[in-house]
Amino acid sequence: MRKRIIKFLFLVIVPCVNFFSCAKEIDFEQADDFEISPVIESSLIFFDEPASSFFTSSAEIISIKDSISIEVFNNDFVVDNLIKADFVFEATNSINRTFQIQVDFINDADQQVHSFTLQALSSTDGSDLLSNYIEVFEGDELDALKNTSKLVFTLSLLPGDTINPTTPGRIKLKSKAIFYLNIGDSI
Amino acid sequence: MRKLMMYFIIVSCCFSFSQNKQLLYGFSEIPQSLLLNPGGKITNDFYFGIPLLSHIHSNVGITGSTVYDIFANDGIDFNTKLQHAVYGMNSKDFFSANQQLEIFSGGFSFGSSYEKNQYLSFGVYQELDFIAYFPKDLAVLALEGNQNNINRPFKTSDINVTAEAISVFHVGYNKKVNNKLTFGVRGKIYSSIANINSTKNKGHFTTTNGQNNFYNHIFNLDLEARTSGLTSLTNDESDSGSVVKDLTKRVFLGGNLGLGFDVGVTRQLDEQWSMDVSLLDIGFIRHKKDIENYKIEGNYIYEGVDPIFTDTANGQTAEDYWNAIEEDFEDIFEIDTTTAKYTTWRPIKFNASLNYAFGEKKYKDCNCTRPEKSYLNSTGLQLFAMSRPKQAQLALTAYYYRRLFNGLQVKATYTIDSYSAYNVGLGMSARLGGVNFYIMTDNFLQLKNIYNAQSVSLQLGFNYIFNKNEN
Repeated sequence: MRKRIIKFLFLVIVPCVNFFSCAKEIDFEQADDFEISPVIESSLIFFDEPASSFFTSSAEIISIKDSISIEVFNNDFVVDNLIKADFVFEATNSINRTFQIQVDFINDADQQVHSFTLQALSSTDGSDLLSNYIEVFEGDELDALKNTSKLVFTLSLLPGDTINPTTPGRIKLKSKAIFYLNIGDSI
Repeated sequence: MRKLMMYFIIVSCCFSFSQNKQLLYGFSEIPQSLLLNPGGKITNDFYFGIPLLSHIHSNVGITGSTVYDIFANDGIDFNTKLQHAVYGMNSKDFFSANQQLEIFSGGFSFGSSYEKNQYLSFGVYQELDFIAYFPKDLAVLALEGNQNNINRPFKTSDINVTAEAISVFHVGYNKKVNNKLTFGVRGKIYSSIANINSTKNKGHFTTTNGQNNFYNHIFNLDLEARTSGLTSLTNDESDSGSVVKDLTKRVFLGGNLGLGFDVGVTRQLDEQWSMDVSLLDIGFIRHKKDIENYKIEGNYIYEGVDPIFTDTANGQTAEDYWNAIEEDFEDIFEIDTTTAKYTTWRPIKFNASLNYAFGEKKYKDCNCTRPEKSYLNSTGLQLFAMSRPKQAQLALTAYYYRRLFNGLQVKATYTIDSYSAYNVGLGMSARLGGVNFYIMTDNFLQLKNIYNAQSVSLQLGFNYIFNKNEN
């Protein structure tokens, strides 16, 4: 009896082990090729103001300038993985004046590393006039972006009919950044 | 190729694992079957488990994709396979591992000298249980970004993980009331070695088209992770020596303690039909010591910055305005750390089976009828259910059991659970002298290519048994 049991165990266990040992070809080193390319869009700056905002008690405001400190662009993750960025602007102007928006990119040493301007063209008949602008950051511009720690915005009114408290129309600006990431090599 | 891929994904989605021990359940020759039904039938007078070898159980399972789907050396781009895997799975797919190691166990029958109808069993085992659901939305966000997913909420509630290492001290009582009825209960003391628990997360991140600007980015986050037993192991003062000492202490009731019980009953319907039911691990663990909880909570809608027309009337500059936004962001992503006590519930398991025994054992030595008939075969259906953070796991098993010789029994199972339709398992129990050895594994068909298996489960052990009937 005992012999029969041992023989049976042998017959059962050996195929079991065989089953276990069998595995098709697997290559875990493929994980080195891991790469994902998400595209992130984020709102940037915006404003929406009537023409009268460009008039103080006595005179028209020729230009407005302000700045923000921003750490996102020189964050390690962005520096390592950002391969391209687009800044997309859409200005809607119904004021009979052309506006110019200048964006300066300033680094830690307070030096300007990049700058661009866009215009919101004047609307002669009071209807909404759309102006689109895309600033693309690739190569050197991308490196400049990754060095940026401060953005300076300057909104200027180009020469034209003087604005007074009753000047009709509004100026609107919408903007977004599109960040093209490629994550893989660095992790 | 694409069709093949789809086929691959669909097929691979269709199996799964469960923590079901369908092979061991009702296998009364193996003393450890009492851990699955304290009111099960008992065939021995006395047993003790060979320390550390009496019950070794491990089970690894994944639903959705398999290791083979992603890592097969088939010339297909790794990232393509990865993407297929991500898109092929959903947030109810999970990866799970369960392991048990009996440290020691034993049992003996007692009662009146002519009929020992009661049985006391006891032991200590260590258990590791881990389940992580696939955070589908976050995986898609990482893969695609939000550009093509405007208005799609990325649910942070997809994050759902629990892991626990515990030791269990248990004593069980089993009584055969009469030929029709056997019942049993088992009391358990749990000692938690370590616990991580993040199962009640809420919230989402959504990008919607905005009014003032292109987009509104909505951050609605309510995330919490609770841990016990980890902080003291990771602090700077601990070295490997003190960690081992600390862990050993926790195994022997020095951890966060809990209480629980199992109940079970077997009912003999007639000579050949029987049914049984058990409920296991109705219990909780109270985490009081060595706790560190993390919480992120907040609501914020970001639509961009108005850099020029800030609230200049109040003297606010764009810089101030931006700083305020940055602070808001920091607030919602700030991790609050607390040491609040908490309670976890053990996953409850339910088993039930209906059994039919047939093929009366014939005795060569005499043609007489014996008072207790003995059958060589049995077959039946078993139902298993287990509570899990997102949804219960269910499994239905059909089995065939056969006594081949006095010292050798085998059982084959065919299990259908929520995903799998062809899980075949095989198990056997052998006795040579007083030593009992058993081994069982399920998903037998999948073992041909182990990397393509959705789950692999193995149980084995050695016991020393004194049997009632040496027939």
